[in-house]
Amino acid sequence: MTLATSLNGAEQRRPSRLGRMLEDRLPYLIVAPAIFILLLVGLFPLIYSLVVSFQRITMTDNDTSFVGLLNYAELFRDTRLWASLGHTAIITAVALPLELLIGFLMAQLFIDRLPGRQLFVALLVLPTVISPIVAGATWRLMFDVRFGPIGQILSFFAGEPVRILWTVNPAYVYPAIIICEVWQWSPFMFLLLLAALSNVDQSQLEAAEIDGASYLRVLRAIILPSIAPVIAVACLIRGLDLVRIFDIIWALTEGGPGSMTETISLYTYVQGFSQFEISYTAAISFLVIALLTIITTLVLKRMELAR
Amino acid sequence: MKFRTFLGASAMLALTGASAHAADKDAADTAVEAAKKYAGATISIVWEAGLQSLDPLNYSGPKWEKLTGIKVKVVEVPTDQMFTKIMQDFKSGAGAYDALNVIPSWMPDLARAGALEPLDKYVDKFGYRDELQDIAAAYRDNQMQYDGKIYGFPDDGDVMLLYYRKDIFEDPKMKDEFKAKFGYELAPPKDWKQFDEIGQFITDKMAPKVYGAGFFRAAPYPQYMFQERFRMEGGKFFNADTMKATVNSDVGLKVFKQMLAENKFMPPGVEQWNFVDNLAAFLQGTTAMTISWPPYGRWAAGYGSGEEALKWVPKSQVAGKVGYALNPLGRPELGVGFDLAVSATSKNKEAAYLFIQWLNSKKTSLERVQLPYTLRDPFRVSHYASEKYRSLWPDAPSYLDTVKTSGEKGLLDLSLLQQDKYDEAMTKAISSLWAGEDAKAILDRLAQQFDAITEKVGIENQRAVYKVWAAKPGAYPQ
Repeated sequence: MTLATSLNGAEQRRPSRLGRMLEDRLPYLIVAPAIFILLLVGLFPLIYSLVVSFQRITMTDNDTSFVGLLNYAELFRDTRLWASLGHTAIITAVALPLELLIGFLMAQLFIDRLPGRQLFVALLVLPTVISPIVAGATWRLMFDVRFGPIGQILSFFAGEPVRILWTVNPAYVYPAIIICEVWQWSPFMFLLLLAALSNVDQSQLEAAEIDGASYLRVLRAIILPSIAPVIAVACLIRGLDLVRIFDIIWALTEGGPGSMTETISLYTYVQGFSQFEISYTAAISFLVIALLTIITTLVLKRMELAR
Repeated sequence: MKFRTFLGASAMLALTGASAHAADKDAADTAVEAAKKYAGATISIVWEAGLQSLDPLNYSGPKWEKLTGIKVKVVEVPTDQMFTKIMQDFKSGAGAYDALNVIPSWMPDLARAGALEPLDKYVDKFGYRDELQDIAAAYRDNQMQYDGKIYGFPDDGDVMLLYYRKDIFEDPKMKDEFKAKFGYELAPPKDWKQFDEIGQFITDKMAPKVYGAGFFRAAPYPQYMFQERFRMEGGKFFNADTMKATVNSDVGLKVFKQMLAENKFMPPGVEQWNFVDNLAAFLQGTTAMTISWPPYGRWAAGYGSGEEALKWVPKSQVAGKVGYALNPLGRPELGVGFDLAVSATSKNKEAAYLFIQWLNSKKTSLERVQLPYTLRDPFRVSHYASEKYRSLWPDAPSYLDTVKTSGEKGLLDLSLLQQDKYDEAMTKAISSLWAGEDAKAILDRLAQQFDAITEKVGIENQRAVYKVWAAKPGAYPQ
């Protein structure tokens, strides 16, 4: 009786087929709206851009017929495109290590609990909260040959007027961009690396100190391996940002003189929104996506290996 | 019998009065009367952001609403985005804009794309042809039509003028020394050789207090000066038969080298100067000559100095000391300009048309070009002759006469299909020149870029458009 009653009770508690189905699929139902929105705003434009890249839509021509790989073939003949990729690579190759190095040195400086540390950390992080376009415009004023403080400071030390055309002279235009870029984003590296350094195993450091290891040895054998994953992530984030760099250069040089500092983002913008080469711009975008995917995959693989 | 005669006479009088009244009605009144049936509607107009748009925001928009009951929504767009926004609206078919401000050199692209409404039928319907004849010929004959149809009303008398410091040019000591050195009078330069000699002479004598000249050299302005000088020295942009670019000719090289050399007697850093930098230097008395659009002349005279909107303009230190002259070689670049047009996708085409007719009419436009805070420059014969305008500051008659003559002799901006691409190529070439790159190499690259653009647009298409443009009286000096 008792058994029968309990069996009946279990029967009663067992959910119906519909209920079971709902229960099984509930997680999917919960995430479905979010996935739908993601697909709508992320995947649909991507697929649409891919379709457009095989058409020939321009400012005056709405030609939606399939033109095959015409736009992609044109990419290889476009010297300005490859030059802009080269400029992007130069800026990334110089700015990224500098930001990493400065960020690391700053983090080392602030790892000890000095008085007023929190205030200084907050102040140092300020540049990262400024909009890059504002940073670029501000640095443009700083570099101004007549009124800019940089020229005045250099003139003070030189003892004679120093007139450097930072945004015109080819010898100074890249340093100007990199100074601005490094000024704004080194604090980002600093913050990440400060957090990473704070988590380095103190007992290992103390043991190394007792053993009389030099700082460089400690750095190479303990600190860097400990913070390597963070360095890799920080480099990945900043590297991708640098490949996309637009605002600072737009405000400082607009890609000039000539096209000397035109990066891939600037070039894509000019092609798409100034010259209305819609299909060709879509092809450029896919080239950039492909390049970024390769770079990201390689970096992630190396991170896997490091782990 | 007498009564019938009286009736007849009365009828005649009434008719005469009515026709006299009709004849009195100008294009502005006609537009207002016709627009009243759209009272309560709202029309939108694309206008250049900044000072230019203060006209419809503060003056003409509210006045039009008061007269007709039609609200005006002003869509402010930065100059470099205007073309894009207009095309985007057209391509999407959204019809967000009713009336437009368009730069005349865009007209071939916009008209061929179908983005602009042909205006001829409205012009006839609302009797505007006569008043169009009052628009200065340079603008009327060159900036109003494409392919024989009216697509826009020239509404801004943009043209480059030479401004010079009369007090320096008339200084007896400077005059004597200059004549002794060069053998001719110190006066506004007639050609670029004279310009260079005068500029260098003043710099040698007065720098760093005053430099011989200053120009805007930052992108995109200097390409207008290049276009002017290149043509005035005998250059042609293309071979009209093959459509191969010829900007890299010896003339191009000569102009590039001259332009670069002139930077040496201009203030340090002139390569970075934009419109405002150059204006500030001239108004503060740091440069003795400059070339720019007409607002410089008004502001240098101190006109509008009390205006809130002009607070950013440095107070003129040279009021009463500025002379106006034609550019060296006598045919200045018209440089940009604006046409009023109606969007082909507008849902209120007639109301939009009536608004632009009213804006552009003799009566309203005369008021608008005198607004001290906007950048609209005189563009009608009646503007140049206006007694009211000529009394605005002591040298206003000389200013208006120079603007008029410059407009009459003005050279058109190059205007082809996808003109913005040619403009961009020229702008980049000149910025490379300032950076010290070899002038010949830059020009060869520029010619290659021109050829690539032409090829992409289609040589036949472009040849047809170039032929029409080159045949205009303001395209090349005869």
